[in-house]
Parts: sequence; structure tokens; C-alpha cells
Amino acid sequence: MSINTNNMNKEKTQKKILIATALSFAFFIAYDFLYLQPKQAAVNEINKQTAIQQTATQATQNSAPATINKAATTQNSAPATNTVVTTDIISTIETKNNIIKIDNLGRISQVTLKEVQYVDSDNKQIHLFEQNQLRPLEVRFANATINNEAFKVNVVASMDKIDAINSVQKLTLTQNLTNTTLTKVLTFYPDGHYDLEVSSTNKEEFFITPGFRPNVLADMYADHGALLALNDGTLNIIEDEDMEKSAELIGVNVASAFDRYYATVLYNYDVSMAVSVMKDINDSPNMFIQAKDNIKLHGYMGPKNYKSLVALDERLSSVIEYGWFTFIAKPMFTMLQYIHDYVGNWGWTIVITTILIKLILFPLSHKGMVSMNRLKDLAPKIKAIQEKYSNDKQKASMHMMELYKKEGANPMGGCLPIILQIPVFFAIYRVLLNAIELKGSEWIFWITDLAEMDPYFILPILMGATMFLQQKITPNTMTDPMQQKMFQFLPVVFTFFFLWFPAGLTLYWFINNLFTIAQQYYVNHIFSNAKVQRHEKHVEEKTHNKK
Amino acid sequence: MNKLVLLVIKFYQKYLTILSFGSCRYYPTCSSYAKVQFEHNNFFKAFLLSTLRILRCNPLFDGGFDYVKTNCPSKNKINLEFKKIKVKYWLVPVNTNQCLILKHNTKWDK
Repeated sequence: MSINTNNMNKEKTQKKILIATALSFAFFIAYDFLYLQPKQAAVNEINKQTAIQQTATQATQNSAPATINKAATTQNSAPATNTVVTTDIISTIETKNNIIKIDNLGRISQVTLKEVQYVDSDNKQIHLFEQNQLRPLEVRFANATINNEAFKVNVVASMDKIDAINSVQKLTLTQNLTNTTLTKVLTFYPDGHYDLEVSSTNKEEFFITPGFRPNVLADMYADHGALLALNDGTLNIIEDEDMEKSAELIGVNVASAFDRYYATVLYNYDVSMAVSVMKDINDSPNMFIQAKDNIKLHGYMGPKNYKSLVALDERLSSVIEYGWFTFIAKPMFTMLQYIHDYVGNWGWTIVITTILIKLILFPLSHKGMVSMNRLKDLAPKIKAIQEKYSNDKQKASMHMMELYKKEGANPMGGCLPIILQIPVFFAIYRVLLNAIELKGSEWIFWITDLAEMDPYFILPILMGATMFLQQKITPNTMTDPMQQKMFQFLPVVFTFFFLWFPAGLTLYWFINNLFTIAQQYYVNHIFSNAKVQRHEKHVEEKTHNKK
Repeated sequence: MNKLVLLVIKFYQKYLTILSFGSCRYYPTCSSYAKVQFEHNNFFKAFLLSTLRILRCNPLFDGGFDYVKTNCPSKNKINLEFKKIKVKYWLVPVNTNQCLILKHNTKWDK
């Protein structure tokens, strides 16, 4: 009978192992599907989008959004969203960080990033915007006739070339229409951001847009779409291809259209904006800010780089968004950034952060390890219990608990230390995925981008090896050979998991393991020393007694 | 709500326990404690007590035996007719209206 149940138990454990393996495989298949494939898809998307946009232009729906207070039901056909060719550029502004081009309808046609780190895989400088998408600073009039005309009449720029590399420069764009004159006064700063003042004569109401999001890296792995920060401190995020119906928001301070690393932002913290968010043909958000007949805004187009955003306004850091885990990822980033200021290398920053986290958790882990070591002395008693109740796990663990209580030692580390690891792990993961600062950041030798997977799989293998070693030197209560096998199988599963993870994350886990091993080794060493001493003392006492 | 949590716990116990294998300092383990909590107490109480249990489950606390407490069932719910029933839990009164919940061990049936 007992043999039978034993066999059944073993079958059960074997089944569990199979399930675990299947799960891990399912995991990295899903990872491949969610992460690696979208990367390729992003490349394909460009072509696809062009095709879709062409059909969109045939349908031509460049109407102004319905006003929030007054419903202006206009269904205009204005042509020209995708007729931008280089000859239509009427002004080019060069700042220290970017080159901005203005087209003949007074919109920002393209932004090219100048800083050396912002290059694509072909080593070309990054252009933020996709052809045929809604352009930043496009204006739509509430009045249908004016709106129609506005898409046909060329805008006049006060200057066709502006050098704002070292000084603040002003550009005035004027569009003379039959019933109104639209004036955009843009002030460009050397750091690449701008101030904007738009007004129309004859009280003609209009809307202005921060444009469609940059399309440099928009995959399924990090959010992309529209982000609106409201004056009550809440964030409203509308993801691409996810809009059911158009929405209207009031009390908006920031309207940002973003991909993984870049954003085009219009903001004003002094006067809140009213924003209409319309869905386009792909159910993606297009934002239009209600301007009445004049509006003052600040604008930024570029990388969601923490320091550049905070330099413009402390509160603009809300534009950087890490998904569900923002609440823990944000402090994690602040900490990493702080350390990075001293170290200057993101890889070493991660190493130091790992050590710091280990130090904070040291009292917990040390106490656990010490009592774990006492377990060795109890080993015979534990074995006796396990043999006695080999077919009744519940009873065995109850008796074990009793034994620990009697001996005043509880060898288990506890659930909390394990659960604490999870948010830390996810925070680092999100930061690696979303923080532009870590994109293309190198560590040593072969690691050239911590946000990408290790190309030679060295770190994951080291990680697996250290995990194996850590298990080896950690005393445990497992006596069931099946359980033990399963446990030993874990490093293999984990190595598989980590093969495609960002190298920075694997680095974190590897260093974490390394220090656990060092700590465990140290504790083991102290204990064996103490044992030897105890033994010597014992021998000494014996010889003493003999005398 | 409780059912949803119980499903999550069931999933965890079935597939994820190998990750945190044999690390609980308490009997019953945190996950089985939470399971019993959500089966017997209302959502908020169960959630709070389970969270506290997990927070306590670290080397700074002693660990040991820690059963779920609940209000004892009213008298009319007690099986006075001694019908044959399938036992899942034993409710052990600790004072006039509080009971500890102990899981029944099927091995005891034989």
C-alpha cells in the first residue's frame, strides 16, 4: 500500500516537472511572439501604414474635432495630409540638439536628432516622424469653410533658415485666409524645445495638435500612444489601436504622443488645456488642443530623457511612463540615475545597485542563513521524521515545525524575501525597456547594449551556473530524490528564461547570485570554524577531566 | 471576488510553488493559509490577514503554527444527526465564538 502511494506521489512529481518545463517553453515562445516578432513587424508596419494612409486620404476626413462647449459639426474634406515633399519646406531651424523642418502648411514636418547616441541600426540619425501621419502644430478651424481653405493656402515664414544653436530665436508663421489671419510665433531654444503662441483674427476658433507619436520604436512590448497629464495629478494613457470612441478631456497640463523612447509634447502648467482625442483609422489617438482664438503653449519633441525633461519643468517627468510598475520603476530609475552620476557606466551602476539591495536585505538573509546552518545539526532528526511520515506530507511538515520550535531554529527563509524579489526584478526590467538613457548603454567587453539580449549568451549561462552553485552550497530540507531533481532542474529552466532577456536584467540576477554565494560561503565558513572550536574545547575538557 | 483569488492561489500552488519551494516558516504555508482565509472569511479580512501573514514570513519572525481563525458555526449547522459527511476542515473552538480551522487529512480516514 505504502509503495503504491509512493509511486503515485512520484508520478505526480514527474507530472509537475513536465508541466514546469512546458510552462517555461510556453513562456519563451510567448516572449518570442511578443518581443522579437513585433520588432520585425515594426519594420513592416512602415509600408503597411503608408498603404492605409493612402486609403485614408481618399476618404479625406480632416475635420476639426467637435468643440467641447459648442458642437461644431463639420465634415470637411481637406486634401493635403500626405503631400509633404521636401520642396514644401519653408523653414529649417537648427538647435544644439535637433533640426526642425517646417512645411508649407506651418506644421512641423520632421525633427532630426543631432546628438550622437540617437542613431538607428544603420548608424543614421533618427528622424522622429513617419511620413503621412498627423504633423505637430497642424491647425484645424472649427469653421468648415475656413478649415478647407487653410489646407490650400501656403504659410509664409519670417525666415527660411534659423540658427538657434547658441541663442534663442524667433520664427513667425503667417497664413492669410479670406476671413482670418493665423499667426504662429515660435521661439526656439538651443536645447531644442520651443514656445508657441498661436492666434487668429476675427475670433475664429481653432484647434492645434502635438501631432501623431514618433514612430522610431513602437512595439507591443512597451506602451505607445497618447498620454495626458491632468491638473489633478492623474495620468490618462490612451494606447494605440485601442480607442473605442473619441474623448474630450479638460484640465490637461500635458499632451504627449509617445513611442517607447521618444515623444512629441505640448504643455502648459499655468493654464490648463481642453483636449479632444479623436481616433484615427487605426483606432489610435490623435490629440487636438482647443485654442479658442489664441493659445500659448510650450513644446518638446525628442527623447524621453529624464534630465532634459526635468530641465524644462520638474513635472514633465510624468511623461516617462513604465506601465503597471511605474510606482516602483520610477524610484528605481531615480536611484540608478543617482548612482550613474558617480559611476558613469550603466553596467556598473546595475552591479552597485544589486549590491545595495543585497545590503539592505542583509539582516533578513543573514539571519535566515544562520538558522539554515543549524539545520545541519538537526539533519538526523529531520530524516527520521521524513522517513516516519514518508507517505503523509502534511503530518511530516507538522512534525517538522514542532521540531523547529523545540530547537528554537527555523531554517526557512520565508515567503517575504522571495516575494520582495519580484517587484525589484520587474522594476529593473521596466527601466531597462523604457529608459532611453539605458538604450545602447554598454558594460564591459561583449555587452554593448544592456537593454538588448546578450548576443553570445554568456551572462545567462553564468547566471545559470551561479544559481546551480548557490543551490549546491545552501543546505536544504529536501530528502525526496524526486524533489531534489526538480530543484536541480531549476537553474536550467532559468537559464532558458534569461537567454532572451535584456542583458542588464541578467546582469542583475547574476550579481545577485554571486553575492548570495559569497554570503552563504562566509556563513558556512563561520559555522564550520565554530564547530571545530567547539570540538577542540570538548576534547580539551575531556583530557582535562581525565587528569 | 473570493473565488477569483482562490483560482489564483490554486494556480500558484499547482505550478509556481517550485520557485519558492519549501521556504515557508509557518504551518500551514502562506498559500494554504490564504486559501483557507478566502474560503471562510470575507474578502477584506482575508486579504488583510493573508498579507500580514506573508509580511511576517521572514527570518525576523519565529514562524511556527499559525492557523486561520473564524467565527464558529451556529449550533443548527452542526451535524447532530451524525450523517456520514465528507470532512474537509475541523473547526476547533478556542473560546466561546472563535474557532481554529484545521485541514482534514484524508490519510486519517483509513
